[in-house]
Amino acid sequence: MSASDDQADVEKVLGGDISAFEGIVRRWQGPLVNLAYRFCQDRGRAEEMAQEAFLRSYRGLGQWRKDAAFSTWLFAVATNLYRSELRRIPARTIGLDEVAEPMDARASDGGLEDRDRDLAVRRAVLALPGKYREALTLYYFHDMDVPTAAKSLGVPEGTVKARLFRGREILRGKLPRQLAVPRVKEA
Amino acid sequence: MMRDDMRHDEDEMDRIFSGEDEIQPSSGFAASVMEGVQREAVGPPPIPFPWMRALPGLVVAGLAVVLVVMAAVVAGGQVEAATVHRPSMSMSWLSLLLSSPLVFQGNVGSAAIWGVLAVGVTFVSVNLSMRLASGRG
Repeated sequence: MSASDDQADVEKVLGGDISAFEGIVRRWQGPLVNLAYRFCQDRGRAEEMAQEAFLRSYRGLGQWRKDAAFSTWLFAVATNLYRSELRRIPARTIGLDEVAEPMDARASDGGLEDRDRDLAVRRAVLALPGKYREALTLYYFHDMDVPTAAKSLGVPEGTVKARLFRGREILRGKLPRQLAVPRVKEA
Repeated sequence: MMRDDMRHDEDEMDRIFSGEDEIQPSSGFAASVMEGVQREAVGPPPIPFPWMRALPGLVVAGLAVVLVVMAAVVAGGQVEAATVHRPSMSMSWLSLLLSSPLVFQGNVGSAAIWGVLAVGVTFVSVNLSMRLASGRG
C-alpha cells in the first residue's frame, strides 16, 4: 500500500473523479473490516460499519490535512465511528471475570495447546474495558506504533502508552501464566 | 539473560495478538461501498441552516433573555431592600417576592396586560415558525 497512491486518489476524488475512490476502498477494505471485526466480533456488522466508515471518509475527504498519513486519518475516522456505534449497540462480549484461566497453562507436557492459550488471551482482550481494548487492538492487531495509534484514537501519546500498560497489566492479572511483562515498542 | 526474557515476552505478546485470523471482506464489499458513494455524489447537497431567516428570531430571543435577567436582578434588589427596611418582620422569601411592588403586586388590570402580552408573543412566535417551516417566510 503506497501513501502516494492514496494521495493521488484523494486528489482525483476532490477534483471530481469519484471512481478514484474505489482505489482507496480496495486498498483499505481489509484493514477497515478487520478493525471493525475486532471491535464488534460480528462479520456482518463489521462490513456494515466499515462501509459507513468509507462513506464518512468520502464525505470528509477535504478535511484530511495531509499532516499525517492518509491511512492514519482513515483509521481515526473509522475508530471514532466504531466507538460510537458500539456505544449505541454494544458488542456481545463476556466480562473479564468470566474469562476462564486455563488450569495448567504451562504444564511440562504442554497440557494446554498453544492455540487454546492464545484464544484465552484474545478473549481476555475482548473483555477489557473499551479504552484499553482499542489501544491494544490498534497497537498489536494493526501493528501501529504509539504515535500513529495516538492519532487514530485522538489522544496524546502518553495516554496510549498508559492504556497499553494498564491493559497489559489487567491481562497479566487475569492470565498470569500466559503473559509475562512485555516492553512497549519504541515510539 | 533478563533482556532476552523480556524480548521473548514481547515477541510472545506480538505473536498472540497478531496471529489472530483475519477475515476477508465479502466479494461485493467494494462495489457496495462505491454504490453508496455514487448515491452520495448524485444526491442533493445538504441544506444549509437558514441563518438569515433565523437571525431576527435569535436576536429577539437574546433580547428576551437579557430582559429576563435584568428583571430578575432588579426584583432581587427590591426584595433585599424590603428585607433591610423591615428586618424585624418574619417573612418567607416567597411572601416578600409576592409583596414586592415590581411585577407581582399589580392589580387585575396589569395582570390582564401581562396575559395579553404573553398570548401575543406566543401567537407571533408560532405564526413565524409555521411560515418559516412552510417556506413562505
